[in-house]
Amino acid sequence: MNASASTSGTGVDVEIDDVQSGALHPRPVPYVGRFVFLRVDDRDAGRTLLRRLLPSVEGGLPSADPNQDAWVAVAFTYQGLRALGVPQESLDSFPRAFRQGMAARAHLIGDVGESDPAHWEPPFGTADVHVVLSALSPDEARLEKALERARAACQETPGVTVTWQQEVRQLPTGRTTFGFRDGISHPHIEGLGLPGSNSQEAPLKAGEFLLGYPDETGNLPPMPSPDVLGRNGTYAAVRKLHTNVAAWRQYLRAHTSSEQEEALLAAKMVGRWPSGAPLTLSPEHDDAELGNDPHRNNDFLYRENDDRGFRCPAGAHIRRVNPRDATIIGDARMHRLIRRGTTYGPPLPEGVLEDDGADRGLIGVFIGAHIERQFEFIKTEWVNDGNFIGYPGEQDPVAGHHGGTGSATIPEQPVRRRLQNLPGFVVTRGGEYCFLPGLRALRWLAEPEG
Amino acid sequence: MATTSDATSSDQPERPGMKDGVCSEFTVFTEIKPGHADALRRDLAMMADGSADKEARGALEQIGTLHDARHVMFDNDTRHMFASVFDGSWDTYIDDFGKTVIGERFDRVFSHTEGFPGITDPGVKDWFLAHQAPAGVFVSSYPDLTVQQIWKDQRVSEAFQAVLDTPEFRAALDNPANAELLASPAFRRLMEEAER
Repeated sequence: MNASASTSGTGVDVEIDDVQSGALHPRPVPYVGRFVFLRVDDRDAGRTLLRRLLPSVEGGLPSADPNQDAWVAVAFTYQGLRALGVPQESLDSFPRAFRQGMAARAHLIGDVGESDPAHWEPPFGTADVHVVLSALSPDEARLEKALERARAACQETPGVTVTWQQEVRQLPTGRTTFGFRDGISHPHIEGLGLPGSNSQEAPLKAGEFLLGYPDETGNLPPMPSPDVLGRNGTYAAVRKLHTNVAAWRQYLRAHTSSEQEEALLAAKMVGRWPSGAPLTLSPEHDDAELGNDPHRNNDFLYRENDDRGFRCPAGAHIRRVNPRDATIIGDARMHRLIRRGTTYGPPLPEGVLEDDGADRGLIGVFIGAHIERQFEFIKTEWVNDGNFIGYPGEQDPVAGHHGGTGSATIPEQPVRRRLQNLPGFVVTRGGEYCFLPGLRALRWLAEPEG
Repeated sequence: MATTSDATSSDQPERPGMKDGVCSEFTVFTEIKPGHADALRRDLAMMADGSADKEARGALEQIGTLHDARHVMFDNDTRHMFASVFDGSWDTYIDDFGKTVIGERFDRVFSHTEGFPGITDPGVKDWFLAHQAPAGVFVSSYPDLTVQQIWKDQRVSEAFQAVLDTPEFRAALDNPANAELLASPAFRRLMEEAER
């Protein structure tokens, strides 16, 4: 459908200093970070914790270069808001998906089989996840500094228990566990003064990513009450995804007969080469210079030169989750997200094809003002199915839960290639829907009467 | 890939309606505003008119998940029924279509019914749900086929029949170099299906 959006109504006044730095911020490169889940026993403990946390949480976009920033972000599950004593009327005003939580939505978004919440890592999907703290930094020193106060706040507040912790850091290769550069694409959001990664993307309305501003439909996103709680907040779907790197390498090896073929097949499944160079701009071979260039590595559309997908297959991972102007059912601009992937666990050494039993993968944070229309839609329609691109039943070759029966179509001349009996390479270990309030809202949560 | 009808009816209370394979039914009953029956009839006639056919086809192509739909006025022009069959769920793309010609067509028709908030209104899904009556029985003769697949099947079938009509194809069949292909089970199945 029509991908070129109207740019009318520019100059929307975003209160960026009231938005948590960790909400809309691109991930630094390199990066190190922590995710911490907390349970609060009662509302007084929760509010005391919040008051102590507040000085650690900054608003706005501190510097022009995101690689220089470190931040701590505070988010809450529905259970967490309840534990904090948020009035029922206010709790009821949150959107259904958030109130139900990700585990309750598992069948909808395809977290079934191995990825079923019954097999999730505790405390994911339980009532023991109330507060979700995250911190990201370009280096360990700044991370420690950013976390210092938050850590003290957690330790010194009775009735607050750390229920889960996860360290994330960029691998020495600078790539994901599967071996590809990530953190490339960032949407262009109107009124932020933060450039998007694709100069050809018309700015998206702020209301796609922040509560309190008009979105792409022209309406305000549904906002919880009271206004002070909702305004300048957003939602984050936080997921722990285990990656089966050995299975990925074995699959590629078994279905190719040379190193070059193997690299090409992997690129056709991902949509980029390991350096980050997109297939649409470099269809034949990797191009490290292109992959390293932030002004070029995401600066492309599909329709004009690659609508049929002979360069980047319509079913490739990056084209599914961000189809840009490609021919699809529906309007891609209604389903944009900020994606912030961070790696956990040790890398599987280069060349190793046998699983070493180590847990490795990513903590994915998917941010937007509309959980159902953005994260859940993308997962169900674009990752778990291919009807929108004319391949009904085909899942994302990388992120899909194939279970050994998956297929993927790769357009080629004279006829398409079709991968069959694809195994799953990714298993969901857990996930939570979180509300990431603005700073005024955090203060209101800490002292609703004040 | 298809979820079972059980999962749809029991686990998704927000999406009532019956499912058979990949598609589901969606039927809405509304009250026609007093004095609007003639205007609604005119709008429906205009949408059904041959001159609007191109727009209608274009709209269907744009939706890409609608198998069929009908608007019916009944009870002495006091009520209106919209009955449809969609791949997946009726509301999957409703936000996407709010700004398109499809949205305009919905707005035009439902503006004659009581309480319709407008297709781009955030409350429109709830309004449709409040007026939906789930079917007691819903069956499809092609439960595995989405609209996209049906369109593709038709295009491929027509193109393949055209190949069968060429003398070059005939010659290729007679060419001993192709004997191996002709003898393969996959190719024999193709020829068999083409005969039907």
